[in-house]
Amino acid sequence: MENKKIKQVMSAVFEIPVESISDDASSDNIENWDSLRHLNLILALEEEFGVSIPDEEVGNLVNFKLIELVINDILK
Amino acid sequence: MENLKYTEILQLNKALVGTIQSKPYEIGVLSNVTVNSFEEVLEYSCRLNQIEPKVEIGNFDNIVQDSVVLKNKDLIIIFYDVLNIVDQISEFFEDLEEEKYNNLKNKLFTEIDIIFENLSNTASVIFNSFSSAYYNNNNVQVSKIETFVKELNAYLEQKKTNNVSIVNIDKLFAHIGFKQSIDYRFYHSSKAPYTFAFFKNYVAAIKTVFLRNTGKLKKAIIFDCDNTLWKGVIGEDGIEGIDMSPTSKSGKFYHLVQRIAVFLSKRGVIVGLCSKNNDQDVLDVLRNHKDMILKEEHIVIKKVNWVDKASNLRAIASELNIGIDSLVFVDDSNFEINLIKEQVPEILTIQVPTAISDYPDLILKNIYTYFNSVLNSDDAKKTELYKQQFERENSKTAFNSIEGYLASLEIQLTVVKNDKVHMQRIAQLTQKTNQFNLTTYRYTESQVDHFMADKKHEVYAMFVKDKFGDIGLTGVCIAKEDEKDPKNVILDSLLMSCRIIGRNIEFVFVSHIIKDLANKGYQTLTADYIPTKKNAQVEGFYDKVGLSLIENIDVTKKHYSLNIANFEPKKVDYIKINTELV
Repeated sequence: MENKKIKQVMSAVFEIPVESISDDASSDNIENWDSLRHLNLILALEEEFGVSIPDEEVGNLVNFKLIELVINDILK
Repeated sequence: MENLKYTEILQLNKALVGTIQSKPYEIGVLSNVTVNSFEEVLEYSCRLNQIEPKVEIGNFDNIVQDSVVLKNKDLIIIFYDVLNIVDQISEFFEDLEEEKYNNLKNKLFTEIDIIFENLSNTASVIFNSFSSAYYNNNNVQVSKIETFVKELNAYLEQKKTNNVSIVNIDKLFAHIGFKQSIDYRFYHSSKAPYTFAFFKNYVAAIKTVFLRNTGKLKKAIIFDCDNTLWKGVIGEDGIEGIDMSPTSKSGKFYHLVQRIAVFLSKRGVIVGLCSKNNDQDVLDVLRNHKDMILKEEHIVIKKVNWVDKASNLRAIASELNIGIDSLVFVDDSNFEINLIKEQVPEILTIQVPTAISDYPDLILKNIYTYFNSVLNSDDAKKTELYKQQFERENSKTAFNSIEGYLASLEIQLTVVKNDKVHMQRIAQLTQKTNQFNLTTYRYTESQVDHFMADKKHEVYAMFVKDKFGDIGLTGVCIAKEDEKDPKNVILDSLLMSCRIIGRNIEFVFVSHIIKDLANKGYQTLTADYIPTKKNAQVEGFYDKVGLSLIENIDVTKKHYSLNIANFEPKKVDYIKINTELV
């Protein structure tokens, strides 16, 4: 469930089709994932899940798996 | 837009890309902080208003240099944030010695001078005021940072040129709430202090500037009557049963809206009624209800009948001779609002809110965005003028020939040249005029100022008067010498307010200008007609004046030329012309 929502957010922010986002997606293999878009990704995730991502995690969310982990952790 | 999420705006904005066919409106953003997510919000807001934006974000913390690089944009937006200014000093600000304080202040003053100087010919500049809200936690004393910010803001106000609008950031912070506006997490990690909520509100606040610059402000506000100007239904409740009393519980909100409508009519906005009612019932309220402060004298046009409102609003636009997209329509009914949205989507609709206490504020918010808030004395006279126009229309029928009618108007023109007193009104006309406008170039006050001072430009302004009254400054022409051929003069802009069209005034005006340019020694003249969605009525104008169409090379415009010696002005002997040419 969250899995799909996260990918939809990533798709909108990075302007790429949702199908192209694999579980291995990261800032290394998504070309549009620069530091500016990273901020917008955090913003979009926070809005989508109604959460606030802690300061120390913001810089760490550099791939899909980490995002999933942190979001699920906050939602618990 | 306020309630949309970031991803929603991304998607909606993307869907609008390529749907607007017009020359891009170029916006440059200069900032000393990171403004992520601003670009998409700005783009989306432009596209919603039929403006195709081209946004360029300058280099980070490079405002002064970028004010040179990006000065040719249509609009420059500057975020010069105190946060990042203070971060660059090595002491606690409150502990700053006087000498260092003054050095910092003088450095900023100089930068402001350079920025304004570099951007002095840019069409429009938005500069955010400096804010001390970030630091203001000493509530019983004035801190050093507050004094610093006050001095900077006073300097901004003092130095700003007339193409600059200052956005009061503190008012925005107060409106949204500071905690909702600033996110320190992102500031400390990426120098990006502003939240998405802030940018949505910020764009809503500056929207009026880019609407004004692209000629998209509204001209008329049309009200429904029942449950819009008063509480109740006149046809059912009767004149005794409706309520707009300033002292009753819900009547007072309608009273407040009427006050706003009266104010607007005094400021040159066309106020009208469009209501499904018996005309006599509404007239009775207008004339005889003791609480009715909006009177017949404030109302320019009235469609009280049982015809559908889409047809009525179309008729209103055509009778007033204004574009359908210049109308704002206010109604309480879901049905009517949706009908207009569906049938005439160009009209901006405002639905009376169910929480009636929000009603006056909602109207005001739209007024500040969509109506030119410049208090211009000429605008104030307009209501009277539109009424006179109707009297003119009515007396039209009494004459057998249109020429006879026009002669009876006793039209008098006065043409002045390079007169700086009228700079503001001239710039406003270039920005607002859509229909009788040959090239639709938009100019700001500072650009007009520049043309007036420049020897190779002539700025003509025309005043019109007839026996019904003084219509004011309603025609503008800007001519410029051809850089490649100093014997040739180019008609850069020619425009007239739609209020005076249909009386052959345009021919007298143009003939006069050509004569004056001939006296200055020009031998040939060239001019373009650039078609837009709205100026089809002047497509053949230069043919009628007697200019020759040059082989159509460029499909986006028609190019004309004239050998001035062969020019034969059209005879219109019933229009008198007074000149105050220098």
